[in-house]
Amino acid sequence: MAFPWLSAAILFPIGSALLIPFVPDKGDGKQVRWFALGVSLITFLITVGGYLNGYDPAQEGLQLVERVQWLPELGLAWSVGADGLSMPLILLTSFITSLACLAAWPVSFKPKLFYFLLLAMNGGQIAVFAVQDMLLFFLAWELELLPVYLLLAIWGGKKRQYAATKFILYTAGSSLFILIVGLAMAFYGGNTSFEYSVLMAKEFGTKFQLLCYAGLLIAFGVKLPIVPLHTWLPDAHGEATAPVHMLLAGILLKMGGYALLRFNVQLLPAAHAQFAPLLVVLGVVNIIYAALTSFAQRNLKRKIAYSSISHMGFVLIGIGSFSPLGTSGAMLQMISHGLIGASLFFLVGATYDRTHTLQLDEMGGIGQKMRKMFALWTICSLASLALPGMSGFVSELMIFVGFSTSEAYTLSFRIVMAVLAAIGVILTPVYLLSMLREIFYGRENTELTSHANLVDAEPREIYVISCLLVPIIGIGLYPRLMTDTYRASIEALVVRENLALKQLSLPPAGGELIRQQLLKAPLLPA
Amino acid sequence: MPSAAELAWLIPVLPLLGACLSGLGLISFNRTVNRLRKPVALLLISSVGAAAVLSFAVLAEQLGGAAPVEVLFNWASAGSFNLQMGFRVDALGAVMLSLVTTVALLVMVYSDGYMAHDKGYVRFFTYLALFSSSMLGLVISPNLLEIYVFWELVGMCSYLLVGFWYDRDGAAHAAQKAFVVNRVGDFGLLLGILGMFWATGSFGFEQIGSGLQQAVADGSVSNGVAILLCLLVFMGPMAKSAQFPLHVWLPDAMEGPTPISALIHAATMVAAGVFLVARLQPVYEAFPAVNLVIAVVGTITLFLGATIALTQMDLKKGLAYSTVSQLGYMMLAMGCGAPVAGMFHLVTHAFFKAMLFLGSGSVIHAMEEVVGHEPVLAQDMRLMGGLRRSMPITSTTFLIGCVAISGIPPLAGFWSKDEILGQAFGSFPVLWAVGFITAGMTAFYMFRLYFLTFEGNFRGGDTALQAQLLAAAGKPVGSDAEHSDHHKASLPHESGWQMAMPLAVLAVPSVLIGLLGTPWNSRFAALVDPHEYAHMAKSFSWAEFLPLAGASVAISVAGISLAAFAYLLHKLDLAQAVAARFPRINAFLANKWYLDAINDKLFVQGSRKLAKSVLDVDSKVVDGVVNLTGLLTLGSGEGLKYFETGRAQFYALIVFGGVIALVVLFGSLG
Repeated sequence: MAFPWLSAAILFPIGSALLIPFVPDKGDGKQVRWFALGVSLITFLITVGGYLNGYDPAQEGLQLVERVQWLPELGLAWSVGADGLSMPLILLTSFITSLACLAAWPVSFKPKLFYFLLLAMNGGQIAVFAVQDMLLFFLAWELELLPVYLLLAIWGGKKRQYAATKFILYTAGSSLFILIVGLAMAFYGGNTSFEYSVLMAKEFGTKFQLLCYAGLLIAFGVKLPIVPLHTWLPDAHGEATAPVHMLLAGILLKMGGYALLRFNVQLLPAAHAQFAPLLVVLGVVNIIYAALTSFAQRNLKRKIAYSSISHMGFVLIGIGSFSPLGTSGAMLQMISHGLIGASLFFLVGATYDRTHTLQLDEMGGIGQKMRKMFALWTICSLASLALPGMSGFVSELMIFVGFSTSEAYTLSFRIVMAVLAAIGVILTPVYLLSMLREIFYGRENTELTSHANLVDAEPREIYVISCLLVPIIGIGLYPRLMTDTYRASIEALVVRENLALKQLSLPPAGGELIRQQLLKAPLLPA
Repeated sequence: MPSAAELAWLIPVLPLLGACLSGLGLISFNRTVNRLRKPVALLLISSVGAAAVLSFAVLAEQLGGAAPVEVLFNWASAGSFNLQMGFRVDALGAVMLSLVTTVALLVMVYSDGYMAHDKGYVRFFTYLALFSSSMLGLVISPNLLEIYVFWELVGMCSYLLVGFWYDRDGAAHAAQKAFVVNRVGDFGLLLGILGMFWATGSFGFEQIGSGLQQAVADGSVSNGVAILLCLLVFMGPMAKSAQFPLHVWLPDAMEGPTPISALIHAATMVAAGVFLVARLQPVYEAFPAVNLVIAVVGTITLFLGATIALTQMDLKKGLAYSTVSQLGYMMLAMGCGAPVAGMFHLVTHAFFKAMLFLGSGSVIHAMEEVVGHEPVLAQDMRLMGGLRRSMPITSTTFLIGCVAISGIPPLAGFWSKDEILGQAFGSFPVLWAVGFITAGMTAFYMFRLYFLTFEGNFRGGDTALQAQLLAAAGKPVGSDAEHSDHHKASLPHESGWQMAMPLAVLAVPSVLIGLLGTPWNSRFAALVDPHEYAHMAKSFSWAEFLPLAGASVAISVAGISLAAFAYLLHKLDLAQAVAARFPRINAFLANKWYLDAINDKLFVQGSRKLAKSVLDVDSKVVDGVVNLTGLLTLGSGEGLKYFETGRAQFYALIVFGGVIALVVLFGSLG
C-alpha cells in the first residue's frame, strides 16, 4: 500500500499537538515555538510529498485515495482523497500555517495552549479539504471551529469575547444546515451513504436540489462570507492576533469557496444552474459594498477585513460564470487571496506590535522610521489591488474574461454585472492607497513617534513576507504554474454544470432577462 | 545569429533585472546598498544603455526594411480559451523603443547630478529602471491584454515616483490622485477590452479591427455597441495621456522629482495613450463617430491646457499644462485619422519637452541653493529672472525648446504641429481654428516662461516676496531658515556636467529631427506607414502648404512678440490690461477651470460620504439585526451573562455535543 499522505498530513499535526504538554518549556514559549514550527514544516513537506508522489495534475478524478471503514453501522468511513479542487488548497493550508507559526513568534501568553490550537487547526483544516465523506466533512468543519473560537477568545483584543461568541454562533448555527442537508442527501433514494462519489451518482429531484442548495448556500455564505452574512468577520478579524488573522483570511474563508464548488456545484448542478445568477449578483454586491465599507473604516484591521470580503466577491462571480476560464479564475482567486490576505494581515500585526494602535487617525508619516516596512506594505497593497505581475491580477482577469464571454447569461446581464464589478477596480486602489498614505506618507506624527518604538522590519518578518511574495509573483508572471495543477478537475466540473444548464427547462422568475436562449448560436468562435 | 528583433524581449527584461537586483538589495541590505550609490547607478544605467543599443539595432533593421516580428506563447488557458502573451516588433514599435530608451538614458545621467544629495538616490534609480522596463514592455506588447498589463505597471511606477518624497503631503496626495484617475481610465479600458474580446474573440489589434467590422457587418454586434466599445477603450488613453476631463492628475504629478516629470510626464508615459490610439487605428478607422469624439476631446484638451498655462506662476506647472495642451494636439491628429502626424508630434515633442523639463529642473536645482528646498519658492517664477547670465547652457537649450514648441521653422515642433493642423484643416475646420489660435497662445506662454525665468533681474533674494508666497501657500514662514541659511548662495549657478550634457544632447534632435518629417518627403512616414508616405508625397502642394504654414508662423510670432512686449520690454502690463479688466476669466483660468474643485466636491467628498453611509448601514442595520436576533434567541439577560463570564466556550461545547448526538441518532435510525 502506498504511503497515506493525506491521513498523515491530517493526523501528524493533531498527534503532535497532543504532545505539546510534554515539551519542556519555561513558559515563555521559546522552546515550544520551535517545536510547533518544526511540526508545521513537516506537515507542509508531507503535503508537498503527497503532491509530488501521488498526484497527477492531468487527471480529473480523485487521487491519493484512502478508505478505511470506521463506524460501519453509521455508514461512516475514513475516506480521504484529493482532486484539483482540494489539492491546491491543501498545499495552501499547510504553507500558510507554517508561516503563521513563524508569525506567532512573539506570543508569550499561554504559548503551549496557543500552539496546541494552531496545530490542531492545521490538521482540521487539511481534513476539511481532504475528506470525501459528507459526515466527516461536517465533523472536520466543526472541529476546526473550536480552535478558532478559543484562539479568538483568549488571545484577542479588547472585545474578544463578543467577537468569539459571534463567530461561534454564526458558524456553528449555519453549519447545522450542512448536517441537515448532508443527512437528507444521504438518505435520498436508496443506497444510504455519505460518500461524495455516491452522492454525485444520485439523481436528485430538482426541488430537492433547490432546497439543499439554499441550505448549503447559507452555511457556506457565512464562511466565505457573502453580504449580508458577513458581520462576524470584521469583529473576528478586528480582534484576532496576527497569526490567527493569517489563518482566518488565508484558509478559513477558502473553506466557504471550496465547499460551494464541491457541494453546490458538483453535487447539485441542476440547482446551481438556477441559483448561479444569484451568486453573480451577490458577488458584485460583495465587491462594491465591502469596498465602500473598507474605505470608510478607520480601523486598520477592520479595513483589511472588509477588503477580504470585497475580494471574495470575485470568487462568487467566477463560480457562477459557467465558463472554464471563470471557474478556474475563482479557484485562483481563492489561492491568490489566501496568499495576499495573509501577507496583509501579517503586516497589520507587525505594524500594531510597533505602533500599539490600529486607528489610522493616530498614525501618519511613519514611512521615515520604517522604510522596509513601508516597502513591504506597498508591495502587498499593490498585490491586493490586482497589479499585473501578481496573482490577484490574473485571477480577477480570468474571472472578468470568463464571465463576460459566458454563454449562460444574456448580454445585458453580463454588461451590467461586468460594469459594476469593474467599479471595484476603481474602489480598491482608493481605499488601499488612502490607507498607505495615512500610515506612511506625510509629515511624521510626532505624538506617535515620541512614545512608540518604531523599529524597522526584522529579518523574520521580511522572510515571512518574501515566502508569500514568491508564489504571488510567480503565479502573476506565469499563472499556469498554478492553474495547470487543477485544470482537469475544473474543466470536468464545468462540463457537468453546463450539462445541467442545458437541461434546465424552467427558467427562474425573470429568467429571460438574465438567461440567454441557449438555442441561439454561441457568439464566440471556438 | 538571431536578429535584433528576435532578441527584442531583452529590451524590457534587462532594466527589469537591474531594478529587481537593486530593489532586493534595498530591502535585504538597506544600508550597504544605499552606500553603493555609484555602482548601483552604473549598473542600472548600463542596463538601460544595453536596452538602448538593442533598440537602435532593431530600428536599424526596420529602416533596412525588415518584416515585423511577433512571438507568442500561451500564458493562461482554460477549456478552449488561451490568453496569449509575447512580443511584437514593427516600425512603430522600433521608433518608440529608441525614443524611450534614449530619453530614459539621458534622464538617468541627468538624475545622477540632480539627485546627488538625495538620501533616496538608489531607490530613485531603481524606480527609474523599473519604469523604463514597464514602458518598453508596453511598446512591444502584441495585443491589448499585454498592453493592459504594462499599462498598469507604468501607472504603478508613476505612483511610486510621484510619491517619491513621501514625507511631503502634496506628493502623497498627488501620487494617489495619479493612480486613481488612471484607474478610472483603466476601468473603461478593461471593459472595452473585455467587450472587444467578447465581440471578436481576440485581443490582437488587427484581428479586433477586422473582427469588429465583420461583426457589425453581419449584425451580431450593433453599430452603437461597437462605437461604445471603442470609446470605452479610449478612456484608457484619455487618462494616461491626460485628456480632458481626466487630465487632472498630470499637473499635480509635478510633485515628483523633476527628472521624473521629464521622463514620465512629458516624454514617455503620457505618450503611451497616444501610442495605444495609434496601435488601435485598424479598429477605429471604421467608425467615424469614434474619430470625431477623439478629435473633439483632443481639441478641448489642447485649448484647456494652453489657457491654464497662461496664468501659471509655477515653472513646472506651466510646463505641465503645456504638455497637456500638446497631448491634445496629438489626439486631434489621431481623431483626424492621421496617426502618422500624431506619432511624429509625439516624437518631436518628447525630445524638446524632455529638454524643457530637464532645463526647468536645472533652474530649480540652482534656485534651491538660493531659496532652500521649498518647492513653493524654488519653482515660482516671481523669484527667478536674469538666470541667463549665470546659466548659459540651461538658458540656451530652454530657448531652443521654446522656439521648437512654438512652431518656428525649421525647428522640430513646426513640422509636426503644422502637419497636424494641416490634417485638421482638411477634416474638421472648426477644430483647426481652435488649434490655430492655441498655437499662438502656446508661443505666448512659452516665451512668458522664458522671459520671466531667464531675462530681467534676479529676484530670488527678495525675502518679503518669499514670505508672501509662503503665506499664500499656507506654509510657515522661515521654518527652515535657521538650518539652511548659512549655506545659501546669493546667485544661482550653472549645473554640473551630468545635468548640462543631456540638455545639450537633447537640443540636437529638438532642432533637427523635424526635417525627417517634411511633408514633401517625410522619411518618418516612409518608415512607419509607407502607404501614408506615398499619399503625402502625392497630395503635397506648395500652394496649400505655404498659406497654412505661413499663418501658423505668423500667429506664433505674434504670440512671441506679445510676450516680449509684456515680460521682456515691460511695455505692457498684462496684469492691469487684461487680468484686472476681466477678473472672472482670470479667476476661471487661475483656478484651472474649477475642475479640481468640482472633482473634489463631486467625487472625493461624494465617495467619502457614500462610503461612510454604507458603513453606518453595515454596523447599525445589518449588524444590528444580527445582534438583535442573537439577543432574542438567547433570552436577553441570560445570553449576555454567558458572553461575559466566558461560559460561552461551555455553550459551544454543548452545541457541538448536541450535533454529535444528532448524528448518532440519525445514524442508528438509518
